[in-house]
Amino acid sequence: MIRGLFGNFKLAIFLAFKSIWKGNRWASLLIISVMALSFAQLILTPSILSGVTQALNSQQINTLYGNVLVDPKNDAYYLENATVIQTLVEQQPGVAAASRHLTNGAFIESNWKTTNVTMKGTGGNYRVIGIDPEKESRVTTISQTLISGSYLNRDDRDQIILGVEIAGGPGASGASFLNLGGVKVGDNVRLTYANGTQREYNVKGIFKARDGEADRQAFVSYTEMAEAMGTGFTERASQILIKTGPSVNETAVVDNLKSLGINGEVRSWKVYGGGMGEVVASFDVIASLISGIGLVVAAIVMFIVIYISVINKKRQIGVLRAIGVNRFAIYVSYLCQALFYAVVGIILGGVLFGYVIQPYFAAHPLDLSIGKVSLATDPATIQISIIGIMVAAIFAGIIPVINITRHSIIKAIWGT
Amino acid sequence: MIIVRDLHKTYGNERTGTHALKGINLKVETGEFVAIMGRSGSGKSTLLHLLGLLDNPTRGEIYLDGKNAITLSDEQKTSFRLGKLGYVFQEYSLITEMTILENVWLPALCLGHGNNYRKRATDILDTVGLGHRLDHYPNEVSGGEQQRAAIARALINKPSILFADEPTASLDINSAKIVLELFKKLNQELQQTIVMVTHEPEDEKYVDRVIWIKDGLVAEDGLA
Repeated sequence: MIRGLFGNFKLAIFLAFKSIWKGNRWASLLIISVMALSFAQLILTPSILSGVTQALNSQQINTLYGNVLVDPKNDAYYLENATVIQTLVEQQPGVAAASRHLTNGAFIESNWKTTNVTMKGTGGNYRVIGIDPEKESRVTTISQTLISGSYLNRDDRDQIILGVEIAGGPGASGASFLNLGGVKVGDNVRLTYANGTQREYNVKGIFKARDGEADRQAFVSYTEMAEAMGTGFTERASQILIKTGPSVNETAVVDNLKSLGINGEVRSWKVYGGGMGEVVASFDVIASLISGIGLVVAAIVMFIVIYISVINKKRQIGVLRAIGVNRFAIYVSYLCQALFYAVVGIILGGVLFGYVIQPYFAAHPLDLSIGKVSLATDPATIQISIIGIMVAAIFAGIIPVINITRHSIIKAIWGT
Repeated sequence: MIIVRDLHKTYGNERTGTHALKGINLKVETGEFVAIMGRSGSGKSTLLHLLGLLDNPTRGEIYLDGKNAITLSDEQKTSFRLGKLGYVFQEYSLITEMTILENVWLPALCLGHGNNYRKRATDILDTVGLGHRLDHYPNEVSGGEQQRAAIARALINKPSILFADEPTASLDINSAKIVLELFKKLNQELQQTIVMVTHEPEDEKYVDRVIWIKDGLVAEDGLA
């Protein structure tokens, strides 16, 4: 029994080897090409969508939240002893940098001095954040997104940098009546803080972080904000943003910070993801759908190509059966051929993706409104694609052969 | 030995289909060289396909070497064909991706015979005059040579009965003569039982006996 089985395998491998090695080279090339392109496509589409979600997540981390945040307790407006907390946080393993924010709401207006009634009163309520510019630049990328002017210095007192959706102008995506209508570097703006304090600032820089919420923020120095808010704010903070090191587990950092007994709430940026989290989740659903459809389409294409190839060998299958080759050996032979095509296709598709497509996207990322998007390939996607291609190849290889061998040998030989 | 009793074959529905065989009875002794002849559509090829276990009859019995072959399962028929029967088709039917030697060796490989049967395959190919074509592919040799290779393939497992379905139909006169003389030689020297379908009247001179089929029945059965 086992000897017979082994003999059948040996025979099947011999038949498969001869068929691949001496068969129609163009047909083999076509099948392998379809396999390779299907595999590359199966990885590419989800990788682009993963790239988009990764870009969205990165935007949130790099422009709004950092990786981890320390907030005031629910019954407090501010973190007290912020310098002590920040220093403690900075010393923790996995923490690369920390920046405290002192946040306030303010009515920002331009052209308040003009006598032109159509220009007068251009303004709106925005979030203004006091920062230590140097520490902030180690946590967020705001300092790298200036489209005009320059970044803040620690000692700046009458300087402000505005998000492009506050300043307006050609870089803004919002309508001009939703912003200051095109404030430029060097212009003055007047801020009326929530406590009634009014300050005039010179616009030192305008940034475009490509995140709607981030671009509706303005930044002044920490010292300036603390003074504008009144006495006792120099040691207070609205939030401390924390940047973790590369490949550091955020959850571990959160857990560690919680264990320190800090008088505040330690949270991952994901808690703040909010609506964007839903967008990312939607992208994941879309990516899964597209992958699923792509897999089915690829499977159908492969099935058709292999099916035609096998149907063309109908007469040969009939002859093999007539001379006494049993069905099992014929099935295994075609299964081996299909798996060979699948494996070679996967390898070539992988090489195409890894050495051509991925480097191309790395060098030329997609420039979308959310930022530069390159491919983010998930190992699970690769695994699913490999399994999908193999399963499709197995079905495509075996079903037509089963179909042919079920019918009369004579019909197979006659090709009817 | 072959014994056929009341063999029927209907293509399609029993009432409205084509009745290719309408009750064939015949007996072929071991070592006989028999020609089955008849006009096109007479049922001679159908009869050969049934005898060679390549198709199933509608009813009737076929005894091959004492075994009722009709009762065998598909897989048992495959084994029986492999070990006991040889088959030569009208067209050469070699596997194009294999050399002449590999084509001949293939049925032995199916029986689990390894390289020891390569030698036998080489010897048989020598016998049929293809000793110089062992490593050629089918498309590299003539039609007559392909048919001789097909005969060699049919003989590799020492079959009890060799079936040939119009083996010379696709050959020129010279190649056909070589093939028929080869059959005659196998029959005379090895007492190989051969049942051959042919529509060429001049093939009669090579065989011991001719069975004429007409309208799905044996019309005449006698010595050649």
